[in-house]
Amino acid sequence: MSTTTLESRSSRKNEHKIGRRGFLATAGGFTLTFLMPEVTRLSEAEGATPGQVNAWLTIGADESITLTVGSSEMGQGSFSGLAQILAEDLMVDYARIRGVQGGPTMSNPAPVGTAINTVGSSVTRTNFWKMRDAGAIARETLVQAAMNQIGDPVRGNYTVNNGVITHTPDGVTRTYGQVAPDAAALTPPSTASLVPDDQFKLIGKTVPRLDIPSKVNGGAKYGLDVRMDGMYYAVIKHSPSFGGTLAFTPAKPSGMLAVVPTRVIAGTNRGSEATGNVNAVAVVGSNTWDTWQAAKSLRVTWNLPASASSLNNAQFQADAQALLTSAAPYVAGGANPAGTLYTVESIGSVNDAIAGSAKSIDVTYSLPYVAHACMEVLNCTVNYVAGVSCEIWAPTQSSKAVLQLAMTLTGLPSTAINVHTMYLGGGLGRKAEVDFVSEAIQVAMAVNKPVKLMWPREEDFTRDQYRPMALIHARAGLDNSGNVTGWSYRNVSPSILGQRGAPLGAKGDSQGIEGAQSLPYNFGTRLTEWVSHPSPIPVGFWRSVGASVNTFGVESMMDELAAAAGADPYTFRRALLTDPRWIAVLDAAATLGNWNTPPPSGRARGIAIGTAFNSIVAEVVEISQVTTTSLKVNRVSCAIDCYVSVNPGSIQAQLQGGIVHGMNAALYGKQNFVNGAAQAKNFNQSRMIRLQEMPQIDISIIPNPAAASRTTNIGGVGELGVPTFAPALANAYFKLTGTRVRTLPFFPAATMGGL
Amino acid sequence: MSTLQLNVNGQNYTVNVSNPDMPLLWVLRDLIGLTGTKYGCGIEVCAACTVLIDGQPEHSCVFDASSAVGKKVMTIEGLSPDSSHPAQKAWVANQVPQCGYCQSGMLMSVAGAMKAGHHGNEILSEVKNLCVCGTYQRIRQAVQYL
Repeated sequence: MSTTTLESRSSRKNEHKIGRRGFLATAGGFTLTFLMPEVTRLSEAEGATPGQVNAWLTIGADESITLTVGSSEMGQGSFSGLAQILAEDLMVDYARIRGVQGGPTMSNPAPVGTAINTVGSSVTRTNFWKMRDAGAIARETLVQAAMNQIGDPVRGNYTVNNGVITHTPDGVTRTYGQVAPDAAALTPPSTASLVPDDQFKLIGKTVPRLDIPSKVNGGAKYGLDVRMDGMYYAVIKHSPSFGGTLAFTPAKPSGMLAVVPTRVIAGTNRGSEATGNVNAVAVVGSNTWDTWQAAKSLRVTWNLPASASSLNNAQFQADAQALLTSAAPYVAGGANPAGTLYTVESIGSVNDAIAGSAKSIDVTYSLPYVAHACMEVLNCTVNYVAGVSCEIWAPTQSSKAVLQLAMTLTGLPSTAINVHTMYLGGGLGRKAEVDFVSEAIQVAMAVNKPVKLMWPREEDFTRDQYRPMALIHARAGLDNSGNVTGWSYRNVSPSILGQRGAPLGAKGDSQGIEGAQSLPYNFGTRLTEWVSHPSPIPVGFWRSVGASVNTFGVESMMDELAAAAGADPYTFRRALLTDPRWIAVLDAAATLGNWNTPPPSGRARGIAIGTAFNSIVAEVVEISQVTTTSLKVNRVSCAIDCYVSVNPGSIQAQLQGGIVHGMNAALYGKQNFVNGAAQAKNFNQSRMIRLQEMPQIDISIIPNPAAASRTTNIGGVGELGVPTFAPALANAYFKLTGTRVRTLPFFPAATMGGL
Repeated sequence: MSTLQLNVNGQNYTVNVSNPDMPLLWVLRDLIGLTGTKYGCGIEVCAACTVLIDGQPEHSCVFDASSAVGKKVMTIEGLSPDSSHPAQKAWVANQVPQCGYCQSGMLMSVAGAMKAGHHGNEILSEVKNLCVCGTYQRIRQAVQYL
């Protein structure tokens, strides 16, 4: 079992002077610095400034091996995955690598340094080759130092095993620690040979995660666990309705330190929550409970905009329904306000093809707003010393955005700000936002004392930046042989990117239509459209984002077509696919789910396939015991092609978790609004499955290629269990009951009882 | 202001609370400094706050601190000195935690069931803790050994 631990390390401790070519000397060892390309949801990979650094590999004279990177750990095990990849080419035992949580660094030439935003299932897939190269370059530099000491410059006369360099002609050895001080003075090679794929000892093997030992004894420190001397506790209280603003600051309750109004800071909230709106007050006191009670009983007057009464589900649905037929097309250079129709793909004349088809289908699918509901509520701790320094502890997926925000709010230089990324008790995309951080900084600046700000669960549910609702109109035609003659797909949904001010081009919001674009099915003609819905309810990135919405629409529709064609849902899809990787994934899921063997009596199966973040996933869902208020999911069989599998055990865990996430949303997930106020306020009104309801989940990972290529995109895993679950479930439900579920969730009235 | 004497993980603590009905959860976390016990819902639905009181699993988010006076409170920090409780070992062996936030309460619920003499499937039927990460399949595997 691994004995390594993940430690917190602040940003300022990461400030080293950068030596030539990314190496720098440290006392008694050497450090390799490098840049891990950053992924954001607004741009796939951010450009790097020469000399920028956000990762550190240090080999100590004491034989320690320390990897410091800024990616956030929220249960996905990506930090462990990076260490595993590094260890392969560094040729050391994985358990020797000590993981250190890096913060955003300001040590770079660029005005704002880079940290790793932990979004888009990206950490492993975008850094696989970075880690391999870093391990290999460090190894060869250390070997060069050993060759210099031993005096034989022939590389072929040396072998490396677990950090021990052996001069094979005479058996003389040097450890990495022994040569590290000398290596620090060398110029490293720009490239180094990698371990051949067929000699992997770690990549593709299940190894234990670094963070798990601390998560069984209460030792792991999440954001909400931060404590410091003299710390005060703040509890937030937002306007109960979106768009509401504070009428006047209430008097400070007895026993409390302060009541602090907080305003929306640019870039931290969306839609109805306009920049500058004072949409919350924070009560500050000496412990969580007393402060929370004071916040609950605090009488606050909110000014509601006239539009608040229109912020309700009926209006959202009516607007969406109208936009299915009446949206104004995008105009290049035009204003293109909410309600604009964007043509994403248009191949051939779909309307003619469908009109001339032997059979046609015309249906709509509806999905609700869904909250993230991470187990750990939003929170942030700030120690602000006026005009001097600002130290921040946050469970954040976006430590760089935290740093930028702190610079903006405090006016302090980056060097006076420290950001500590704490363990996240779930992220799910919600903790990529920094609204809660901005409130904590504002409160700390107002009271000039260390403050931990907490959102009670009710605030977490009701002031989310939700998965967008969607209304999807799908039309398609079939000929008498079961070929799809035309496919038309229009999704009306609020724009995640638009609410963030990202200019939408001619193809609209790429996040909104992902999962419905470039479908690999052989359709005769196709038209893919996306329409921006005007609802100002804040929306955000929710595990698998657009794919979680569109895969439901696409794969439900594919099932309806199969039924109309009188075809088996699996073979119908297979006949329309040409990409061998998609076919292999579909086949693997069907095999794992015993598709061609009848299920036990009273059960039925559904199938779905889809893609997100370069991975292809298919699921077979087997269900039974359908009532008007419940059903039983017996089995889920899931196949994935993520191109390269680093840690199969972690992939299995992530897919199991993603499937549960998809199940909670498909069966029960929804957030409704009445006059701008979110209605589900806690888990009792937003049911999720418990242990006794867990289906058997089996996972099939398509084997790695014989030799991985740098030019092939590696796929993500963390979000991939989600998208295909809902359609596979609905397809199984149709098979079992003959009823097609086109509106999610299945059981909107479900509640979860107390214990 | 009231003064309460609490025994937590075998150690005696004297805490001053504004009101004796402050839930044990916040006394543990804010006043004593044992942060392994987690806040999840505050309404006894998720069970992330589970601790043992005289060996019985209780939801500390709604358990008045004053009601714990004279009883033995055990939190995740006191389950074993070295992560050697059989449930902790099973959790590591089966690589159960993902984000890990719910697992303190999960383990205390399992430990409570074990203290009651229950095993395997009996434990599975009793543990109702919510895990948003969906670690349930590995929990099921881990509990088989207990």
